Amino acid sequence: MSSPLLSLDHASLSLRSNAGRVDILHGITLDVHEGETVGLTGPSGSGKSSLLMLMGGLERATGGTVRALGHDLGKMNEDALAKLRRDNVGVVFQSFHLIPTLTALENVATPLELAGHDDAFDRAADELRAVGVGHRADHYPSQLSGGEQQRVALARAAAPRPRMVLADEPTGNLDGPTGEVIVDLLFGLRERYGSTLVLVTHDTELAARCDRVIRLIDGRLDVDPTG
Amino acid sequence: MRPGFAIRFALREMRGGLAGFRVFLGCLILGAAAIAAVGTVRESIQAGLSAEGARLLGGDAEVELTYRAPNAEERAYLEGISDRVSMITDFRSMAVAGDARALTQVKAVDDLYPLVGSVRLDPPMDLSTALDGENGLPGAVLDPTLMAQLDVTTGDTFRLGTQEFRVMAALTHEPDSVTSGFALGPRTLLREADLKEAGLLAPGTLYTTRTRLDLPPGTDLDARKQALATQFPDRGLTWRDARNGAQGVAEFVDRLGAFLVLVGLSGLAVGGVGIATAIRAYLAGKVHVIATLRTLGAGRWTIFATYFVQIGLLTLLGLALGVTLGAGLPVLLAPVISARLPVPAEFGLYPAPMIEAAIYGALAALIFTLWPLSKAADVRAASLFRGADDAGRGLPAWHFLVAIALLLAALVGVATWFSGNTWLTLWTAGGIAGALLLLGLSAAGIRWLASRGRRVARGRPALGWALAAIGGPGTSAASVVLSLGLGLSVLAAVGQIDGNLRGAIERDLPDRAPAFFFVDIQKDQMPDFRDRMNSDDHVSRIDSAPMLRGIITRINGEPAREVAGDHWVLNGDRGISYAGPLPERTDLRAGTWWGADYTGPPQLSFAAEEAAEMGLSLGDEITVNILGRDITATITSFREVDFSTAGMGFIMIMDEATLASAPHSFIATVYADEQAETQILTDISKAMPNVTAIRVRDAIERVAGILGGLAAATAWGASATLLTGFLVLIGAAAADQRARIFEAAVLRTLGASRARILASLALRAALLGAAAGSVALLAGILGGWAVSRFVMETGFEVMWPSALTVVGAGIGVTLLAGLAFAWAPLAVRPARVLRGRE
Repeated sequence: MSSPLLSLDHASLSLRSNAGRVDILHGITLDVHEGETVGLTGPSGSGKSSLLMLMGGLERATGGTVRALGHDLGKMNEDALAKLRRDNVGVVFQSFHLIPTLTALENVATPLELAGHDDAFDRAADELRAVGVGHRADHYPSQLSGGEQQRVALARAAAPRPRMVLADEPTGNLDGPTGEVIVDLLFGLRERYGSTLVLVTHDTELAARCDRVIRLIDGRLDVDPTG
Repeated sequence: MRPGFAIRFALREMRGGLAGFRVFLGCLILGAAAIAAVGTVRESIQAGLSAEGARLLGGDAEVELTYRAPNAEERAYLEGISDRVSMITDFRSMAVAGDARALTQVKAVDDLYPLVGSVRLDPPMDLSTALDGENGLPGAVLDPTLMAQLDVTTGDTFRLGTQEFRVMAALTHEPDSVTSGFALGPRTLLREADLKEAGLLAPGTLYTTRTRLDLPPGTDLDARKQALATQFPDRGLTWRDARNGAQGVAEFVDRLGAFLVLVGLSGLAVGGVGIATAIRAYLAGKVHVIATLRTLGAGRWTIFATYFVQIGLLTLLGLALGVTLGAGLPVLLAPVISARLPVPAEFGLYPAPMIEAAIYGALAALIFTLWPLSKAADVRAASLFRGADDAGRGLPAWHFLVAIALLLAALVGVATWFSGNTWLTLWTAGGIAGALLLLGLSAAGIRWLASRGRRVARGRPALGWALAAIGGPGTSAASVVLSLGLGLSVLAAVGQIDGNLRGAIERDLPDRAPAFFFVDIQKDQMPDFRDRMNSDDHVSRIDSAPMLRGIITRINGEPAREVAGDHWVLNGDRGISYAGPLPERTDLRAGTWWGADYTGPPQLSFAAEEAAEMGLSLGDEITVNILGRDITATITSFREVDFSTAGMGFIMIMDEATLASAPHSFIATVYADEQAETQILTDISKAMPNVTAIRVRDAIERVAGILGGLAAATAWGASATLLTGFLVLIGAAAADQRARIFEAAVLRTLGASRARILASLALRAALLGAAAGSVALLAGILGGWAVSRFVMETGFEVMWPSALTVVGAGIGVTLLAGLAFAWAPLAVRPARVLRGRE
């Protein structure tokens, strides 16, 4: 097997709150290889989403190391992390998180514009068509249904052809049939771009579609991740 | 409706604190405070003027005469009704010290001056001692400005006419200076007896006497005034008494105060925009509470009453704080304000301006909260199960619209009543409404432009996001343009009007106006005067005319004021000339001119425009009191008189035979190169010491200075509006911060650097500020053009420095408000924000 795309070594996360320190993740050690699909499961509050955020550099580990795409994320500043995501990482959220002031097309074009692509809008339009909402390109998020918003979010994550896609409960706010379409599109990214997929989900059937399933309980890994 | 429940629930909801109402309270406090402050200063000055009427007038009452002192009979009458009588003589003259010459307003006094109050001198000494003089020369005290102009100090000498005087002290306080009116030169105070040898008060010289009366306590001033008018009808005596000692000043303060309160209303209108925005945002956050209440059975009116009670209580709190602040600040700052005021003021808490501010504030709060409150009552129970509610859209129910219209009418009605000037109020109200409409339309236009511009901005993400934020959903374009636009528009208009008026006065007028007015030239001096001017190559034109002064007392036998109201021509005495043949450059508009040798009954030629305003026709009989004698003349012609060139212009010219034998002097205007002015002044004042020269350039500077003061007062008023606008802007930025934080978090997830996000935030603030500034500039230029063209009747050109300042202020203020809230979106971790919204 090739060298890991993502590697966590005794990574932990603690946050300060008004009630005192809250330990969220404890000594997580795992590798994710290029092209792999990994499902992260576990009960609510077990730290799945926090682990995903650590992988994308959206949250900083308070202990251990997180390496992604050959970089030690702990040693990078915020702007360097942003650049790393821009060029390599797509993120899909349960609540879509589209920018409300931008149209669907503009939302998808944004990461491409940030990367300086001259054909950002053409590629964005292609991505929208690929996820089946090409006809909604000029609509604002508030004018789209939940399923349509998640398709746009998926197109936005896919547009830069990322090496890694992180998806946090991508079907959590969608009905069954719509969720299935989204999942198909998400897994299709590996076929289209060879992207590595890390997926947080409660849905055991969905998790089963992944190459590997990692279960978290109380911020700790429940199985040997190195498999 | 269940009022008990509404009140209880309103109070329970308010236990959460007032954090959501900071902008609401700020706008209300600022708006009410500005109006209360202006009103309090105005009342304080009126109280000061009223309390010190006798001191300002220089006595309990005063009888003014032009060209003469009271005759023996009149003097005896005045002494008979008074405990003491004192007379001053007031005229303009040239003061000369060495080579220096300056125009001065001379006040020649008797030993009883001042009857009320006291004169202060530097070095401190008794006025009588100062006027005694020393070393054989009579004494005089001079305004420090005049001493500087003449380059003299205490102990030096100067000349008035042919009389030398010794400067004994600087005049630092003159108790009756406020009532002396507009003076072109600084004051010289001397003893009238010392003027006998000066050769200044020759027959026909323009001077005024004021006989001040110290009346016995309890004198009925009205009865005395009537008795004097009955005793000496048509003698040209003007009575004033301590009740209205500084009537002109009081009226000016009253009008300026009314105007500034109306400017303050524009601040309240801007505050209203902030109030409405704050209430809308607050109620948007309450949709779930309202929907729950509706689910539990609360009716529309119960919901309305609940939030009406909350907002009503907060309005009362805001008004109490605003009125207290506005009325209290002038009292606290009384020493500072008094030191800068040229008139006395008695600072204190006056109920009238406080009530005025509270009424304005309450009406504005009601007008701007009723709309969002009425929409809150429309929230349906179903909102609980749906993400958004569409109750915010559309018009309120018709009864709310009627209520808002009635409240608006009440506001205009109250403003009319308080200001006492219907037209000014209606123009101001129309101006504010028009400006808000224009700004609203402009905001829509800016949104449209921004959304169109997004295609152009492709490939420039920071600009694209900025344009998207301006043109997209949830844009703050309207609140920024409305909140900033009105204040900036007023500032822009003031800048344009002031600049053009100053331009007309300072730049254009000197090109067309004469260099000098020479007054009090005696008839036998005229040939010499003409020779001197004609022989000077620098002089391009000389106009001269005989001049007397007179008061129009009757029109067709009726008292003049009953016929022509309070037209300015009837206010005090006016210059009158006479002529034989038709003078050069006379533009006769109607009627016929009397012949060169006319000796029949008196005939009069009247200024055409003023005659039309006064409703005069050819054949009307005008009675003019000149030197205490009534002359009734028939209007036989109308002339065009152009006062805009500051040249010679007489409202009235009579036939020569009627006036030539009356004592009079001549007035001359001399058009000359600027560099020759000093030489001309020196030459004439040496050869004809009795002749007074008024340098037009100096007079223009005085007028421009006064106009500058008025413009500054208006600009201060507009600044209060701008400050309110800034507060609204801060509120809008604060309300928008959650959205900005979210947007920044998503952008950072997608790979945007903090510098790029900051650039986008700065760009959207700068673009909106520039747009608001540009709209305000356009409105200001339009307003400035209209006022310059139709009211001031001057030319108009855009004053670019002032214009660019307004656009710069727009950008600066929005940048300040926008960037003040930029830190949080840049500092926060994306994961925290995004997960918080899952």
